[in-house]
Amino acid sequence: MDVGGAVAAAKGPVPSPAVEAVAPPHVERLNPVVEQQLHLESVKIRALALYKAVSHILEDLDAFARSNSTIKWRDALGQFSMVSMQLFNIVEDIKNVSKAFVIFPRNINAENATVLPVMLSSKLFPEMEAEDIAKREQLLYGISGHPVHIQIEKLKARIDMIGAACEAAETVISDCRKTYGLGSHPGSTLVPTLDKVQAAKIQEQENLLRAAVNLGEGLRIPFDQRQLPTSLPSHLADVLSFGDGAQNLADNSGSCEKNTPAFSSTREVLQMLQTPGGQLIGRSVPSPSNATAFDNPSTPPMAYANSPRSDPNIMNTPSPQQQAQRQQQQRQKIMQLTHQQQLLLQQQLRQSSITGVLGQRSISQLHDITGQTQQKLQQIAGQHQMSYSHPMLQQQFQNGQLQTSHMSYNILQNQINQGGQHRNNINQLGSSSNALFSAAQASPNSQMISSMSASMQSQSRLPRMQFGLTGGHLQRNHPSQVFNDQMFGMSPSNPVNMLAMQQQQQGGFRNMSTNAHDLQPGMVNLPNTIQNPNFPQQQQNQQ
Amino acid sequence: MECVVQGIIETQHVEALQILLQGLCGVPKDRVRVHEFCLKSGPNLGVVPSEVRLLCDLAQPTPTWTVRHAGGAMRGAGAEQLSVLVRSVVESKVSNNALRFFYAVGYKLDHELLKIGFAFRFQRVVPITVTVTSANRMPRLHAIDDAVPLTPGIQLVEITAPAAGDNYNEVAAAVSSFCEYLVPLLHLSKPGVSTGIVPTAAAAASSLLSNSGGKAI
Repeated sequence: MDVGGAVAAAKGPVPSPAVEAVAPPHVERLNPVVEQQLHLESVKIRALALYKAVSHILEDLDAFARSNSTIKWRDALGQFSMVSMQLFNIVEDIKNVSKAFVIFPRNINAENATVLPVMLSSKLFPEMEAEDIAKREQLLYGISGHPVHIQIEKLKARIDMIGAACEAAETVISDCRKTYGLGSHPGSTLVPTLDKVQAAKIQEQENLLRAAVNLGEGLRIPFDQRQLPTSLPSHLADVLSFGDGAQNLADNSGSCEKNTPAFSSTREVLQMLQTPGGQLIGRSVPSPSNATAFDNPSTPPMAYANSPRSDPNIMNTPSPQQQAQRQQQQRQKIMQLTHQQQLLLQQQLRQSSITGVLGQRSISQLHDITGQTQQKLQQIAGQHQMSYSHPMLQQQFQNGQLQTSHMSYNILQNQINQGGQHRNNINQLGSSSNALFSAAQASPNSQMISSMSASMQSQSRLPRMQFGLTGGHLQRNHPSQVFNDQMFGMSPSNPVNMLAMQQQQQGGFRNMSTNAHDLQPGMVNLPNTIQNPNFPQQQQNQQ
Repeated sequence: MECVVQGIIETQHVEALQILLQGLCGVPKDRVRVHEFCLKSGPNLGVVPSEVRLLCDLAQPTPTWTVRHAGGAMRGAGAEQLSVLVRSVVESKVSNNALRFFYAVGYKLDHELLKIGFAFRFQRVVPITVTVTSANRMPRLHAIDDAVPLTPGIQLVEITAPAAGDNYNEVAAAVSSFCEYLVPLLHLSKPGVSTGIVPTAAAAASSLLSNSGGKAI
């Protein structure tokens, strides 16, 4: 309205001189100075441009409202700021010369009839007037009675105080912004840097942590300190039992290890015979109590721990030559096995996972066997029982070639009856052997017998040697095929047999050589035989 | 397969990280207390020694065991361009016989570790697990109660996501984009690549911990 009024006023005199030019009466002209100041044409042009801009914005807003799309506020606000700037400039220009004009409404109609009095009035609205008076009272409270110049001074002092307070607040705000990194302009924040010492310390710690978590460095306990604590945490208490803990530590220094009895027990037995006292043989068994599950790294790895080796090529792996050289030493060292080691070994064998290995046989049979042996063996030096036989059974069962239960029974009988070199030790186990034999009699099952033989073997190494002796005899007396079956039926003892025979250094070995050769194809035929592949070759080496 | 990145954070900022993760993930945190056994196969179990980890989760009422084998990382030019490490992983729940079983097979205990902390498991394109733990060592074998932190001032942050052979690129991208959110507090990188800490983590942590929730730059 202001613009309209000003323009109307500006336009007013413009047409009138034009009209006046037509008519001769006196013409009202603007004061030429005022006219120059006013720049009527430019104001008009600017006013028109402003009008167009505003109407354009209004159209856009209308379209947004109708289409319900989100307005790009940045653009809209930019346009609005431009428009408002233009308006401000126009009004400023006219203000300079507005004093020269008196505005009166030229065109009153219904539209502006109610508004014009308000626009033209120089008096405030009653509410605004009341508000004004109240504020003035508040301002001049206490000094209204003074003369005016004093009032002025006091008001000025107040203004100065307020100004000072504002400046102080500004500085505080800027300081806080700097401290907390909230600077309004980029680059105003100070990035806290670590000093080098601190950074180095952190780097070192980080390397330590990463190495420990990813690689395990810094966490390995020295082997001499690895003793199982007497009180295990609850989650380990039933997992590890006392006597197991020392066995499974990554070292070759004579700690026992558990073996999967499926086939490793065979090797374990062999290895115990071969390598007491911590010597690493080609089978990599350092000591009798340290029998490792696998030997000879060149043998192909198993699909899983208890899978029998069905690959015939297994038999062709070269045998470690050292075994032959050390058997004499081994025999002596076996005799020196400590009670503790035997205990541990037996514990290992006993605690093998039965169900995983067996799956085909009733465990009750096996338990019977072991139960009987347990009763007997408990009389002997308190040795523990082993369920070592069970995996052996699986092999043998799977073989399906155990046809000569009688033969094995006879073998066992022979073994027991033979004096051998270690008769005193045999006698110790004689009672247990009798138990096994009685069990065998009760169920003349080849499985039972082989399991008995297996459990017999597992009890100590000495009877195994006896088995070996018997095996040697057997080979001489029976056809190779039967012999093969027998050997496989006593597969856990096979390596022992071989060794025992070797150790005896008797003429019977000659037969062994031929039989050993027969063994090879025979052994290959058995799908589930877990044989020490080196034995036949050992024989060859021996003889 | 899995995509994995690791980073470190100072112990004093772990609480702030927890708040940040809580806000990003929207799931409650899970307590982590894992007794980790690292078993190494002996030389007689094959030419190449293999490593198997048994994890016993002690945070559950009854301890649960997991066996885990992490294979070698993916290699090649494509792998180098990824900011995450992609490696093959086989993991399975097992019974508590597992330790004894592995001992019987011929594995030997190489080292053991106790990890205590928390974890967030959530879905963001792919299931992502963020674990913040302090690694503790045991002075004596299996002595969990005497475990002391290996690095008291620093904890390990690990972000993993399962991947398959055909989608590991997307998984890597998802993990990377999530890692962007954690930039104020920690740097993440492939395991084995050292990162250092974020110098401005203190400011970010303080803003996270403040009640007014002022924005950190």
